[in-house]
Amino acid sequence: MDPYVIAIWIVRIAFLGGLYLFMFGVARLLLRDLRAATRDPGGALARLVVVGSEVSEPPRGTVFGLDAVATIGRDVNNSIVVEDDFASTEHAVLTFRGRAWYVEDLASTNGTFVNGLPIEGLSAIAYGDELQIGRVRFRFERARR
Amino acid sequence: MTAATGLRRSAAASRIRPRARRRESGLLVLVAVVLVLGSVSLGVTQRQLAGQPLAWLPADAGQLAIYLGALVAAHLTLVLAGRRSDQVLLPTIGLLGGISLLLMERLPQSLVTQSLAGRNFGLASIQLGWLLLAIAVITATAVMVRSDAWLRRYKYTWAAAGIALLLLTFLFGNEVNGALLTIEVGPFSGQPTELIKVILVIFLAGYLSDFRPLLVSASMRLGPLRLPPVPYLLPMLAMWAMALGIVVIQRDLGAALLFFAVFLALVYIATARASYVVLGLLMFVAGSLIAYQLFGTVRDRVDIWVNPFIDASGKGYQVVQSLYAFGRGGILGTGLGAGLPLVAGRLPIPAIHTDFPLAALGEELGLLGVLAILGLYLVVIERGLRVAASAADDFRALLAAGLTLVVGVQAFIIAGGNLKLIPLTGVTLPFISYGGSSLLANGVVVGLLLALSDRGVEAPPPPRPAGSRRPAFLGGPARGAR
Repeated sequence: MDPYVIAIWIVRIAFLGGLYLFMFGVARLLLRDLRAATRDPGGALARLVVVGSEVSEPPRGTVFGLDAVATIGRDVNNSIVVEDDFASTEHAVLTFRGRAWYVEDLASTNGTFVNGLPIEGLSAIAYGDELQIGRVRFRFERARR
Repeated sequence: MTAATGLRRSAAASRIRPRARRRESGLLVLVAVVLVLGSVSLGVTQRQLAGQPLAWLPADAGQLAIYLGALVAAHLTLVLAGRRSDQVLLPTIGLLGGISLLLMERLPQSLVTQSLAGRNFGLASIQLGWLLLAIAVITATAVMVRSDAWLRRYKYTWAAAGIALLLLTFLFGNEVNGALLTIEVGPFSGQPTELIKVILVIFLAGYLSDFRPLLVSASMRLGPLRLPPVPYLLPMLAMWAMALGIVVIQRDLGAALLFFAVFLALVYIATARASYVVLGLLMFVAGSLIAYQLFGTVRDRVDIWVNPFIDASGKGYQVVQSLYAFGRGGILGTGLGAGLPLVAGRLPIPAIHTDFPLAALGEELGLLGVLAILGLYLVVIERGLRVAASAADDFRALLAAGLTLVVGVQAFIIAGGNLKLIPLTGVTLPFISYGGSSLLANGVVVGLLLALSDRGVEAPPPPRPAGSRRPAFLGGPARGAR
């Protein structure tokens, strides 16, 4: 066979092989990303970030990982303890029910606010919403993976 | 104004320091090697066919060097900007764009010509210009967008802009293959639908993230289906009517299909409820049946899809030729530059550079090449959905997912059309087809994905429903007002 024909076919197949080499390189990076994500235990379903807290605990910038049920209040037995004079002992509870997150006010004295509006009973909450308990404002965020 | 102040604040707060992007540089080296190999393969074949002396050189070393230089410049800009954005997207898009450049160098340069400042430019030179602009758009968007407030605050403004663009196309559009597709401004003509798809995603992300809790919780029983109450279904009806309107007035089946598919996917992502999707699909079937009965264009497309060989030299001509091209390619292809035999001195497929690039690549790179190219689109989709999955709030997640899907679904629609998997519709193959508006709009999409993938991007602003007030014991609205 003509060596020229063989040479040009080697170049053509090298081009195709190069495309797959690129795919292989990308796949390795993706696998490494996935492994890193699974090693990271962070089993939290969502997070609460404190965005405003001037006189009370927890301070601004604190991040809480949330399980499917997270209670908020002044009592130490709550998942998230809020040291604030306007917070009740058992103030509110956040629950994840299959498809969406809900927040419920546990008959607190000063109420629970979502985006500045008081909630009544059980109400849906979306990622990015602002939750206020006493004088502490949280932002409700998607868990980072 | 808000976006500008946000930009200034974050620039002042965090000093910009360069950050190495090793994965990206490694992948870019690979891209350069692959593209040089492809260009040499094309150059040798072209010289042999033209009877020129043998030389193992790229087809057009100058154009390739300019293109690779632009990719390196984009990489260095991202390194200097120091943002922790995704490192796989730029090389992947760079490879797709490079394949596009090789394909345009390979096709007859007389397919598209343009005179500018006394010089004539052919297909490959014009495409190179658009590719450079697209890379510039990607880099600029990725570096400068640090807050998405300007997107989320003005969703109804964006929707109005989108509808205005649509109306402009209705009124002043030029007909291409029986569809109102392009608007001409001076020497340039553009396809507004490419821009409208981005605007649509921005609006839908804003709308759905606002009403997501309502859409998920409210329900009304109708037989076996649990549906949301009627008012929440109105947007779906409006969207359906808009898609049908595009089919009726513009005869642009591809755009209608793309818009409706992305809309349904986003509704499903936002609500995770199959009932919306089932309802949407039923509406799609009903709309398709009506369109099939009423419009000749739709009927032609579907009949060609069912059997293109009935009218192989007339209406089914392009699809038949596309199938032949894939068949001639086989598994390894004929090699770049060696396929696409001329029929009576002309290319078998007239719209090969816009609607059928995959057929050309299928012939010259074979099944393996086409699978690799489809794989590159899958990589783009994976990266985009990953950005969506790690987004901080609903708007950003829906925006990233929508932007990704708009590229992915479009690639699927035209690839499926070329392969006779679904009826052929005239949309472009993202980053490969010839065309400025397609490249620039997809450049904006990738740039936004890069910007959103940065962990350090400005935190989303808290949503403020109309009439929201701070609790009275905090001193009323005065304290909360900005």
